[in-house]
Amino acid sequence: MLQPEIIEFLASTTPQILAKNIPVTENRESKRHDIQQKAEAGEEKAVSPFEFRPQRLRFAVEDEYFEDGDINRHMYLQNIVTSFVDDKQPPTISEFRCHIAGCKQLFDTLEGYEHHYNALHRNVCSNCKRSFPSNRLLEIHILEWHDSLFQIMAEKQCMYECLVEGCGLKFKTSKERKDHLIRTHSYPADFRFDKSKKIGRTTEKKTQQKKDAHMEVSATVLQQESSESMDFSLTPEPVETEPMQAANLKPRYSYKVPSSICFGQGSVRGFRGRRKK
Amino acid sequence: MWRLKTIHHKASASASDLEEFKRKRREFEKALRQARKDRQLVSKRLLQNDVEEEEKEEEESMETCFTFLSSEQVKEMIRGVQMGGEEKAARLASLRKALRNPENQLAFIKSENSMHMLIGQLSAHNAQCQLEATRCLHQLSHSSHPSVSQACVPAGPYLLTYLSSQSTQLTEVCLYTLGNLCPDNAAVREKLLAQGIVSALANCIHNQRYNLAVVEAFGFTLSQLLQAKDATEKIIPAVMASGIVPHLISALTPDPEFGFGPAIECSWCLHYLVSSSLDNSMLIAHGALSHCSAVLIALGGAVAKGNPQDGLELLIWPLLRCLGNLLASGGDVIPEDTRLLAALCVFAQIYLHLHPALSRESLWTLNNLTAGSSGFCSGLLLLNMVPILIQFLSFSGGINSMALRVLGNIAHHGPEYCVGLTQAGLLSALCATLKMADPEVVTLSLEVLYMLVSSNPQGVEEFTRLNGIPLLEAIQYNNEGEQRVRAAYILDHHFPSFSEVESL
Ligand SMILES: [Zn+2]
Ligand SMILES: [Zn+2]
Ligand SMILES: [Zn+2]
Repeated sequence: MLQPEIIEFLASTTPQILAKNIPVTENRESKRHDIQQKAEAGEEKAVSPFEFRPQRLRFAVEDEYFEDGDINRHMYLQNIVTSFVDDKQPPTISEFRCHIAGCKQLFDTLEGYEHHYNALHRNVCSNCKRSFPSNRLLEIHILEWHDSLFQIMAEKQCMYECLVEGCGLKFKTSKERKDHLIRTHSYPADFRFDKSKKIGRTTEKKTQQKKDAHMEVSATVLQQESSESMDFSLTPEPVETEPMQAANLKPRYSYKVPSSICFGQGSVRGFRGRRKK
Repeated sequence: MWRLKTIHHKASASASDLEEFKRKRREFEKALRQARKDRQLVSKRLLQNDVEEEEKEEEESMETCFTFLSSEQVKEMIRGVQMGGEEKAARLASLRKALRNPENQLAFIKSENSMHMLIGQLSAHNAQCQLEATRCLHQLSHSSHPSVSQACVPAGPYLLTYLSSQSTQLTEVCLYTLGNLCPDNAAVREKLLAQGIVSALANCIHNQRYNLAVVEAFGFTLSQLLQAKDATEKIIPAVMASGIVPHLISALTPDPEFGFGPAIECSWCLHYLVSSSLDNSMLIAHGALSHCSAVLIALGGAVAKGNPQDGLELLIWPLLRCLGNLLASGGDVIPEDTRLLAALCVFAQIYLHLHPALSRESLWTLNNLTAGSSGFCSGLLLLNMVPILIQFLSFSGGINSMALRVLGNIAHHGPEYCVGLTQAGLLSALCATLKMADPEVVTLSLEVLYMLVSSNPQGVEEFTRLNGIPLLEAIQYNNEGEQRVRAAYILDHHFPSFSEVESL
């Protein structure tokens, strides 16, 4: 792990490189500022949440930070062997955590994380945060759950498309499709990505504002039906609780958002007051 | 030699003995940790005589050390010394051996006139008896039984007096005895302070600064005083005013012949001084910063050459702390020699598996060295040490967060530095740290990421290529407000093209 140049460098007695003689570039804070302002041009100024400043940290003598070293010192004073060659106390490798709200699964390895994430979170409905194992199921979900036009059309024609790719059949209700799935494709009766919407449209809009952070996470978590709500108390600005108008909202990146739907994630500080109402 | 000595576990010991030994050691360590939490971490030292005698005694110890004497037999020994005549010194020596047994110690202090007799010998004119009597006291002072060491307190003024003795042997025993008595309780410390222990120590180190065995003993005793709970109010100001500091600082440099013992003790003393105070300009004026730096560079060289001598961490540890806290509390004085960067990186690497906490503290010191110093930040780039720092990002327990701070210190110096970090491969490392469980690590990663993408277009490109955007999107759905806000801000301000995707 050690680089030979470093060993050589340490061993060199002359000439020393003094820190003040190293060429440095001036900190052009202003330049970064410019870029930032360009990005913000035309918008009301957003407050940057970033606050990193180089800091010299001081630890007091009794600080917990010093515990291990103090113990090592006192083991020496009391003549206790502190280490055996075969008895290392290896540093702990960082764990990984799925950062999707309501999931929070822990992983020992990056591979474990990647597998979980790709399997469960790559297709997330921005509106209700439900995740789907495939893009196709996500699209069907958005259409059926969140597209107001779909509801109107479904009253006139068969709109519920079979979930099986390549089948192509359409049905008048989700119930009919379910029967089809069970009969023709031997799907289980409780196939979890075919939940039908139970609430009416008017109540839905209200509850969505409040519950939009609920999400169905993974097959295992979902079985317990324990979707967790996001803690909005972290950003409790009252101003932001007023619903944002759909047309004003920027679409969310690579997640699919139906155009007619209000995106409820309005509580992010960076967004505050940026759009004119 | 007990300097850097470890407990003898005979090479012939069977594997099961070793396991048993390790188990005991773990229990012992646990007890020490609890004691530290209760602010009662106290250690005593037992000075052995020279090697030959020690070996001889070790053979005998099977018989003598564990022999339990009746209180009658103990009284008999005391009378024997009093009547002693020619054999007085020899009788005191065998009394000392008997006092290795804790039961015998209790019997001894309970016997009438026992301490009176010892103190009498201490002040007698026979030099050999004086030394043997002091050794008896030293043996008693090592007891963990409070009443035993308490019984030694009346000897305090004599022990302090002999700190200026011409006999370095006697001075050494007196120092260790006082060092063992100090931490027992506040009342004992009060008494010793009133009797002038600080100026006695100052005199002692001034006169004996070339005798390294005495310097080591002095360092131990002073460190015991400085570790007292109430040290900040009384003891530390007295020590700072005593003239001890310059001697302490010059003792930091280890002597290759004698070994590291004196330097270890004195650097711990300096750590207790530095880390208890908010303003260390006086210590810096005495050269504390430059001395610590120079010794650390030398040790870095020794460690880097491979096969680091066992126990070297005992000296590196306190010196790192001195440097780290001096940098945080000494105004704008910083060292100049960039070899410090290499030394700190070497410690962090070499001790990563044996003492992860030492590795973490090396990175902490590196943070304090680079915070606000463009010279040292350039140095890390110039000496190609960024890849080394990146390697620490997978280790938790405060290691990766401290490494991120150092990287942040570099990035904070502006676009050119950010380009250097990007070229060293930092962005792909950040893609991993953004997925980590520790919220501090994620927040720091977002901070560093922001500096990299906001100051150089290359960073934006690279991060997109590494498929980093979905990571930020995931964090937007996070429970941690701190992270959510930062992730959303970076997406909004630096990846605007992505907001157009799939719109409508
Ligand atoms: Zn997840
Ligand atoms: Zn949905
Ligand atoms: Zn079908």
